[in-house]
Amino acid sequence: MSEDYPEHRPKVPSDEELAGMSRDELATLGMKLDGVEMVEYPDPWPVKGTRAEKRAERAVALWFGLSGLAGLAFVAAFIFWPAQYVAANEPGHFWYSLYTPVIGTTLGVAILAVGIGVLVYTRKFIPHEIAVQERHDGGSNALDKATINAQLADAGNRSTFARRPMIKRSLAFGGGVLGLALTVVPLGGLLRNPHAQSANEDGLLHTGWQHHGDEKVFLRRDTGYSGQVQLVRPGDLDAGAMETVFPFRESERDDHDALVHALKRADNPVMLIRLRPEDAAKVIKAEGQEDYNYGDYYAYTKICSHLGCPTSLYEQRTNRILCPCHQSQFDALQYAKPVFGPATRKLAQLPITVDPDTGYFISTGDFIEPIGPAYWERKS
Amino acid sequence: MMKKRRARTKLRRRLAGMLAIAVALVGVGTLYSVLVPEPQTAQAQDDPIMVRQGEQIYNTTCISCHGANLQGVEDRGPSLIGIGEAAVYFQTSTGRMPAVVQGAQAEEKPPVLTPEEIEQITAFIQANGGGVEMPEESGAELRGDDPARGGQLFRLNCASCHNFTGQGGALSSGKAAPPLEGVTEDQMYAAMLSGPQNMPRFSERQLSPEEKKDIIAYVKSVADGDNSPGGNPLGGLGPQSEGLISFIVGLAALLGITLWIGAKQ
Repeated sequence: MSEDYPEHRPKVPSDEELAGMSRDELATLGMKLDGVEMVEYPDPWPVKGTRAEKRAERAVALWFGLSGLAGLAFVAAFIFWPAQYVAANEPGHFWYSLYTPVIGTTLGVAILAVGIGVLVYTRKFIPHEIAVQERHDGGSNALDKATINAQLADAGNRSTFARRPMIKRSLAFGGGVLGLALTVVPLGGLLRNPHAQSANEDGLLHTGWQHHGDEKVFLRRDTGYSGQVQLVRPGDLDAGAMETVFPFRESERDDHDALVHALKRADNPVMLIRLRPEDAAKVIKAEGQEDYNYGDYYAYTKICSHLGCPTSLYEQRTNRILCPCHQSQFDALQYAKPVFGPATRKLAQLPITVDPDTGYFISTGDFIEPIGPAYWERKS
Repeated sequence: MMKKRRARTKLRRRLAGMLAIAVALVGVGTLYSVLVPEPQTAQAQDDPIMVRQGEQIYNTTCISCHGANLQGVEDRGPSLIGIGEAAVYFQTSTGRMPAVVQGAQAEEKPPVLTPEEIEQITAFIQANGGGVEMPEESGAELRGDDPARGGQLFRLNCASCHNFTGQGGALSSGKAAPPLEGVTEDQMYAAMLSGPQNMPRFSERQLSPEEKKDIIAYVKSVADGDNSPGGNPLGGLGPQSEGLISFIVGLAALLGITLWIGAKQ
């Protein structure tokens, strides 16, 4: 073996020689066996016990100590610092407002200081050696190539894989199915009809305003308490007002989850607008939606027909409804048709009236068209 | 008065901490209520002297755009009948009225009328046109005790135009929703009641007085420099400015550390 290698490689020592070698000699020998020669291996502190060395040692200890202290401070702050929200104009806000900065800073310093300590130690105390390693030119020599090929072939042969068809076939089955499974993700969407569920309750064609049987769907306002039910009466809004309303059914009154869900469902928000009387006289209604309003009250979906943003910037003097995302504008006096911006379809209008039994607003049906952005199969 | 009080409160908070703040708030609040015993808006609609004084101011200041009988002038100014004292107080105390120029919307500027004149003209318009009145309370009394719920309501009803921390935003054709920095509690309440310019109106039946007060409490908790735990609100715009700054500062710090690690002794 040794004749293939460069001649300056050291002789392999005998067992007796090995036993007699010092640690330094062994380390040097180990490097030489690997073809590595140390050109420069300086002791960073050749004179022991200097003040500079002590200072460097203290610096490292300082960083590690700082890390420990910061870690302790983090634990203490995490447990004892007031974390409960206090509004800015209430006493105690100052200390509360420091909660996040304090736990962030203490933990950050704890982590950073350990890292800096390790780095400082490396830079100050680990010798910065310069080593040269021999590399042979070109590819491996013929002997290495021949032997490694023989070893690999031998390992394959001894695994007996080639003459075990059952294992081969089961592996082909397992691996093949796994590969097939990965293609299901991109291909699956082409196989299933995405609109199979569209006509259902939660489908694309309906919103939370869909009627089920004879049950009335009331207009409910959000009071900031999600479980509270407050319905809207015609006298509630001043002329030139806008309110966001959500569907409510009497059967959901004691169902807290349903009440919360009604406020959260994405296609539910509806803008209930009360026009000023002089503006209401100028209204042009869409064909087929002549009886969708109640007096001066008009209800349009809040979901923009362009890309589905909440288009709730209602200007009560110009009667324009603005979408903040892409500056589409809709004219509330003309069935919320788009008058500016990228939107091309009107906002869907919710048919409303007043319930004769209770005096609250109800919707007389769901939207007659899908709300929100367009999709391929959409007719209009 | 309000400005001075806020500045003083702030200074003390920085210097002496929370105890001092409580003392200062109570002290300044007491002083304030002693010096200004009655809100300047909710009184004396029926005082005939005040109505007459208000009429004189109206005839010299407002009549050219709003007409001799509050009926409005075509293409100049709307009718003032039925707008109520809340609208008059908001428009005049924020300096929007009297307007100096016809534009997309009247801009906020230092008030032209003195508080006494505002009181008088409010009385005149309330007496002749009627409309929504201001609440009994004023100042800090108009702050509710549930700013978190106020925040919910603010995001639902107000944030679409005024931004979620009240920084304002653009509307159509050169109009804009103003930032809520430095707006007093009374002005906010008046604005919600009266719907100045293109802002929708929020009646007491739509947003109850408690809800309005909670909204004011929320705005006061995020406006006026109260919303910068990091030292600088970065415009209060949310992830854009904050992301940019953390990207630049964070990347610079990482680069610096990397250079330090790799540097030769």
